[in-house]
Amino acid sequence: MDRNLMMERAEILVGAVDDLPTIPVVATQVIQMLDNPDVSVEEIADLMLSDQVMTARVMKLINSPVYKPAQEITSLKRALVYLGLRHIRELALTTSVINAFDADSGAIELNAFWEHSFGVGMVSKVIARKVGYQDLEKAYISGIIHDLGEVFLSNYLREPFQEVLDKIKNHPIKLVDAEAEMLGTTHCEIGLCIARRWNFPEVYCEVISCHHHPAEATIDPVLCAIVNLADLFCTVRELNYGDRQWVSFNLNEEEAWAILKKESPALAQLDEERFCYELDDAVPDVKELVASIFNSTEQVKS
Amino acid sequence: MALSDKDFEQLRDFIYNLCGMYFHATKKYFLESRLTRRMEATGTKTCQDYYLLLKSPRGSEELKYLMDEITTNETYFFRNVPQLAALENKLLPEIVEVKNKMGFRKLRIWSAASSSGEEAYTMAMILLEKRATLLKDWIIEIVGTDINETVIAQAKEGVYNAYSVRNIPDLYKRKYIREDNGKFILAPEVKKFVTFSKLNLYEDSKMIFMKSFDFIFCANVLIYFDTASKSKVVQHFYNNLQPYGYFFVGQSESLHGVNDKFKTVHFPGGFGYKK
Repeated sequence: MDRNLMMERAEILVGAVDDLPTIPVVATQVIQMLDNPDVSVEEIADLMLSDQVMTARVMKLINSPVYKPAQEITSLKRALVYLGLRHIRELALTTSVINAFDADSGAIELNAFWEHSFGVGMVSKVIARKVGYQDLEKAYISGIIHDLGEVFLSNYLREPFQEVLDKIKNHPIKLVDAEAEMLGTTHCEIGLCIARRWNFPEVYCEVISCHHHPAEATIDPVLCAIVNLADLFCTVRELNYGDRQWVSFNLNEEEAWAILKKESPALAQLDEERFCYELDDAVPDVKELVASIFNSTEQVKS
Repeated sequence: MALSDKDFEQLRDFIYNLCGMYFHATKKYFLESRLTRRMEATGTKTCQDYYLLLKSPRGSEELKYLMDEITTNETYFFRNVPQLAALENKLLPEIVEVKNKMGFRKLRIWSAASSSGEEAYTMAMILLEKRATLLKDWIIEIVGTDINETVIAQAKEGVYNAYSVRNIPDLYKRKYIREDNGKFILAPEVKKFVTFSKLNLYEDSKMIFMKSFDFIFCANVLIYFDTASKSKVVQHFYNNLQPYGYFFVGQSESLHGVNDKFKTVHFPGGFGYKK
């Protein structure tokens, strides 16, 4: 289907929603503050602390197996120092996306959605390391936000989207293909519209838009390819929206695989069987992380 | 004996590299208990000592004992559900389409190392269910082979215990299984699709006659073979498949590094090897 037509359709659908969630004011302010090269960790910490939910989620993320601090970090300031200013922008972005969509009333269970998203984030980071991609956190964040458009479809187009889910149940049809056929657009275009409204950095907009077609990416095709593969692997290893997605793939036929092998020829030796089994072992960690983030109401020291 | 994470990982990697079987973290406790037995039998005090024994010249013999402890010969109907789902929903329709185009309406399936027949009969039930639709007017041949004549006799008899049949979905159970005094008897209409015979996978002269299969299953057997034998047997399976056929191994097995001709095809919960 024509990508432009799908984009037009996505604009109409997203534009028709009056109460589209916004990302928290604090997140926007933090992101703006970080544009100032002289900003201090104290200033950012003070601002973030004014949003307790965001702070709590930042702390959960920091202490998750993904960042693996040697000891548990209990103060926000220390967390920010540990991460480095460079990554705070990304953390603010992630936690606000989580915030924006935390009403569990859509066609997909929110927990299953985040388990897939954080799973893709984690696997993206692993693949990024294997291919020598320079910014592992960027890969992680990209994985977490790649399917942003699905939450919109699930929440605001509940019934038509439920029909899409019913159609692919037990059938070997990719979700993205069924969306294009039945809705005239997909979560990629919808996600892009939302990400633009939220002023996401261009590179993340591209991941959201191109994670099913990494060869179309122009800013960072390697990053899109990383997320694409992570998405495929998660979908076949139990992080698949609670069994709602079907995917079947052979790496040698995937454009993402070609892109990444060009980037790192040693990748051709990947033991993909073992990679899958290791991913199985990591699934409980991902589920635990998601559970902890969404139950993170305890107070955090400054 | 509690196994430290490091010891577990070391042992897991050793077994994986040698046998192609991956011990998931969830099976750590199981490995612990089996390892304890082998450590008692060999008089080794620590996990490290035992590991060194495995790596020593005497190691290959000890590995056989360990493998006997950690693999269970149990088999049952509908054992590998993700594999069966992929087969039913995707791979079978795919092959039927290819063969329909050629006007070649015959399906051949091989359960290599069929044991008491559960895997072969599971396939028979699934295919039988499609006789009215996808496989209308098709010839279906399912072959089960094993090296052990006792299990072949059991397979031919088609009588099972409660454990074997516990995973059969109700739909199939109602149609194809009859209970009689605690025994579960397979319907003749399922049995007639399957033939069982004795075969040693090492025997090249016989392996070359196992021709033209669409699907071959060989679960939990290759893990006992050394790399050279494994490679040879897998090459036979490759040759025995139709050009579009699939080969499957067991749930935690891997053929990585054994054969570079097969293409790994992933599906939810598993993968298969495509010719």
